[in-house]
Amino acid sequence: MSGRIAGSPAAPGIAVGPTWRYRPRGAAGVPVVAVTSRGESELRIRRAAGAAAAQLQALATRLCALNHPGDAEILEAQALMAIDPAIVEEAVRLTRGGMGPVEAVLAAAEASAEVLAALDDALLAARASDVRDVAVRIARALSGAHLDLPPDPSIVVAEDLPPSLLAEMPAGLLLGVALAGGSPTAHVAILARSLGIPAVVAVRGLLEAVRGAAAIAIDGEIGQIAIDPDAAELQELADRQALRGVRDRAAAALRDRPAATADGQRIRLLANIRSPDEAPRALEAGAEGVGLFRTEYLFLRRQFPPTESEQVGEYRRAMQAFGPDRSVVIRLADIGGDKSVPYLGRPDEPNPFLGVRAIRLASESRELLLTQLRAIWRAAGEAGVTPSAMAPMVATLADAQLLLELRDEARAAVVASGAACPERMFTGVMIEVPSAAIMAPELARLVDFFSIGTNDLTQYVLAADRDDPSLAGLQDALHPAVLRTIAAVVAGADLAGIPVAVCGELAGDPAGALVLVGLGVDELSAEARSLDGVRAALAGVTGAELRALAARSLAATDAETVRAYAHELLDAQR
Amino acid sequence: MKSIEVEVVSESGLHARPAAVFVRAATGFASIIRLQNLTAARPAADAKSIVGVLGAGVERGHVVRLVAEGPDEDRAVETLRDLLAGLAQQVGE
Repeated sequence: MSGRIAGSPAAPGIAVGPTWRYRPRGAAGVPVVAVTSRGESELRIRRAAGAAAAQLQALATRLCALNHPGDAEILEAQALMAIDPAIVEEAVRLTRGGMGPVEAVLAAAEASAEVLAALDDALLAARASDVRDVAVRIARALSGAHLDLPPDPSIVVAEDLPPSLLAEMPAGLLLGVALAGGSPTAHVAILARSLGIPAVVAVRGLLEAVRGAAAIAIDGEIGQIAIDPDAAELQELADRQALRGVRDRAAAALRDRPAATADGQRIRLLANIRSPDEAPRALEAGAEGVGLFRTEYLFLRRQFPPTESEQVGEYRRAMQAFGPDRSVVIRLADIGGDKSVPYLGRPDEPNPFLGVRAIRLASESRELLLTQLRAIWRAAGEAGVTPSAMAPMVATLADAQLLLELRDEARAAVVASGAACPERMFTGVMIEVPSAAIMAPELARLVDFFSIGTNDLTQYVLAADRDDPSLAGLQDALHPAVLRTIAAVVAGADLAGIPVAVCGELAGDPAGALVLVGLGVDELSAEARSLDGVRAALAGVTGAELRALAARSLAATDAETVRAYAHELLDAQR
Repeated sequence: MKSIEVEVVSESGLHARPAAVFVRAATGFASIIRLQNLTAARPAADAKSIVGVLGAGVERGHVVRLVAEGPDEDRAVETLRDLLAGLAQQVGE
């Protein structure tokens, strides 16, 4: 039966192929493996452990190449755990006592995990769950790897998908992803985009609809799924893909020119980066600088905070890569809350998104923020540039004042040390907490710029956990309530004459970019790969058209209507 | 049997990446190699076991004892000692 269903677009591209249903499988779901002799048990355990280690190592290498060194590091350690003699030899010993190989591996790993968990160290407790994870993987390998991989290149269909599984699929076996759950901002969607795998998420009724289908076609750019597509539908998809190829090449050709509307209104297009290693890609994509340098990578997954000189090295590397004419906005570490780090010595919070996060850490970890600010001053002094920095989670004027105080205190310390230090630092605040948006006119008089984080702003305005897939309908940054908030922020900034940037996912979505520029946003900062699409969309419209779009969007009452308005304008360009 | 004591100056001790690098190096030797965290007074662990090495809870400033026994014990102890010093340069200041 042919048919169509729709979900949320999560990663662009078109895929056609058979479906492969992924079902989560815990340790309990691992089937019992019949074994005839103890010698065979031993051989199979060693072979399965080796296979699991090879899988994990390959996955680590791949993630490293994709610029996720933190995740790669964990997988590398897991690859060693898979062949750890403490687990493998203990499992072999247990089989000699008559235990089955799967149970033996799980029991041996559990014993090791408990040793780590008992060490009273947050970091090692996390390693304990890594050990358990590895055991399940070995157990799966014992019962046959085919259980967890599609036999042929397929579109994976599931309720939800662990991101690790997506990364672990051999290249070529995974044509696309269609999920009944998930959301475009979920980790799995971000990973699909970075792997270049088309994905559609939050498709209601997906599993029932694709049951018995020989093939499906997914279009990750518009979020559509065709079930058992006929020849005409396949032709239509091929045409669409060809058209997009033309569009993408045309967009890439615009990279040398600064972004502007058809009538010449300039918009600064910047890149979001997670590490200085991403600088070449951002420059190649035509970024005019960095609007968001996430510094969390320096702070997470370690036992002690990074030292000042370690930070200086990283910030200087980023500043030098972009040079004096392309500013790099360093965001102070957005840690605490859900991104907990052991050295902060903070208890778990029942509601981390509303907890002691980022600038709120200043009261108990003032030195952490001061160290980062000193490092930014010193790096800029060494690179010979004027630095830019901003603080996340600013909620009140007092937060902004504290930021300025810390900034000045840090500068005084650097100057006193005799190191080279610039005269000033462009200092901004992120607008993601509704109270900051409401107080925008007063906040704007204190700082040099605003940068709106639309992901968190949406989460807080609509009171919807951004990681909860059942709230996907409330996680849309194009909701008029969010847009009206942004309009108020722009109005507040205009009174003081400071620029407004947007550095959330919305800035990288062509439809979102049109609305934002119409609302008066001056700068858009997005993943490097999104810049082509945004630049091309802006080049096809006039400032007047964008202002009209923004006015209609502000008058709308739901996100779907706003998206339809923006797509009308986008489609009119073609 | 060859034995040596070293102070670990690497900033993150023997966690995460340094632990993985250390275990991979130890695995390359035929000798039986044990690592004991003297500062934390933990029992000796198999240097070829990542769980054992992580479980030793080695932090910056801790003194560890390396003991190797086997055909390549001299080289094993020297290499691993140098590695701990090298890790210090790589990870620390």
